[in-house]
Amino acid sequence: MKLTRRMTVAAFAAFLAAGSAIPAYAADLIAIITPSHDNPFFKAEAVGAEAKAKELGYETLVLVHDDDANKQSQLVDTAIGRGAKAIILDNAGSEASIAAVQKAKDAGVPSFLIDREINATGVAVSQIVSNNYQGAQLGAEEFVRVMGESGNYVELLGRESDLNAGIRSKGYHDVIDEYPEMKMVAQQSANWSQTEAYSKMETILQANPDIKGVISGNDTMAMGAIAALQAAGRKDVIVVGFDGSNDVRDSIKSGGIKATVLQPAYAQAQMAVQQAHEYITAGKKPAEEKQLMDCVLIISENADQLETFALTN
Amino acid sequence: MPSTRGASVIVLVGMMALAGCKIIKTPTAQEAAQSATGGFDPDRMVAEIWDSKVVSYLDKKAGPFSEVASLSASNLEAAGAKYGHKEKQGSAPWTFVARLSGTIVKAETKSRSAYVEVDADGDGKPDARVQIGPAIRGTAIRDSLDFVNFNEFKNQIEWAQYGKAFNTHVNGLVLEKLSRDQLVGKKLDAVGAYPEPAKGQLPLFVPAQLTVGG
Repeated sequence: MKLTRRMTVAAFAAFLAAGSAIPAYAADLIAIITPSHDNPFFKAEAVGAEAKAKELGYETLVLVHDDDANKQSQLVDTAIGRGAKAIILDNAGSEASIAAVQKAKDAGVPSFLIDREINATGVAVSQIVSNNYQGAQLGAEEFVRVMGESGNYVELLGRESDLNAGIRSKGYHDVIDEYPEMKMVAQQSANWSQTEAYSKMETILQANPDIKGVISGNDTMAMGAIAALQAAGRKDVIVVGFDGSNDVRDSIKSGGIKATVLQPAYAQAQMAVQQAHEYITAGKKPAEEKQLMDCVLIISENADQLETFALTN
Repeated sequence: MPSTRGASVIVLVGMMALAGCKIIKTPTAQEAAQSATGGFDPDRMVAEIWDSKVVSYLDKKAGPFSEVASLSASNLEAAGAKYGHKEKQGSAPWTFVARLSGTIVKAETKSRSAYVEVDADGDGKPDARVQIGPAIRGTAIRDSLDFVNFNEFKNQIEWAQYGKAFNTHVNGLVLEKLSRDQLVGKKLDAVGAYPEPAKGQLPLFVPAQLTVGG
């Protein structure tokens, strides 16, 4: 019995050794894990990362975790099992994802985070994130300006487990709350979702017909909100989003949504792959793990320059 | 019985009044930060380094505004290295430290984000927009310092609270005392910071020291 058991352990160890040998001949796989591509923002990240990885000669494994930390954990296992040399990750929660990134690190697979941070350093190699606070302040300043520094407004929040939802809300309020005539009459989460924002907006509008503006934590919710407002014949309500999607760009150009804030998603993803490449080939880490990318305000004057989460000149 | 009832009404009114006080009282940034992050106190952190480190750093780093502006126009990196700071990674712009002297040519004091525009070279046209609060845009003071770093903070939220704490400090120390009457035509002297402005826009200057007079 004891012998059998020992043999099983030995066999298992051999299997493990074989497993860890896989990277030797699959040396060029990069896993790209993001939330669902239903949101064009995450799709742009995946496309940007994949394009850069291919350009540098890597194979790619593109996966989505649908903001489910358990699924993310399984996908990280998949990436490790497939012998990925690096993981480009837009994670599923700033606390819940620490374990998954640690697991990858323990298995010798470095992670390069984009878009969302985790509440830990020294686990991922890079965390390249938009300066959400700076961006939110830009959006809020424009919102306050268009509102004439006064009036009732609604705030649509993102998914609570996502740090970016909190930081954008904080950026908004650090600006808006300086104006005593600006009154928030409702604040609800629509979990980054367009359909959820549509139904929440319908309900909020019934209870608060006297609203003058809606500030939204992202563009998909802003699209949901403006659709509900337009369906209710409320074209007067000012809507401001966050992300810089082509949908919102088109809405701005046709006089719908007033402003959004561009996060350089495409460039961010490409930068992460570049840093992964330098780490894989030369063992070189970036000078700082946490890296902030500044956001840009998009209004009707510069909306034309926006294409797939990047500004053209 | 009636007297008991009267008394309880008074007690109730008293309680309501007390409850009212509680609701009206907005938590300070310090309290909010402490409850949100368990002991993290950016206002105290800023207050602790302001006199000992921030003031002397800005004083030493600052160049005359005209020099900083002309060098940054001709050679941004050189101007940044000499008079500015930015994070090593990421895409934040340079934040410059400058000593600004000039005449106020325009004042916007109705907005909560009030400002004055200053002519520094005597041509009658504004060269910089100086924020005079109480709402201060951006995080220029924090971003100008080479001894504070995002990587030493738990996340963006704490980093943002820290940036805001500098603005709050400047407000209490400098800006709240500033008289808002008839600013145009007066002379202004300031030491402060501003991020590299977007094309065609005036530098948005946040003062750390400010005198207006004459």
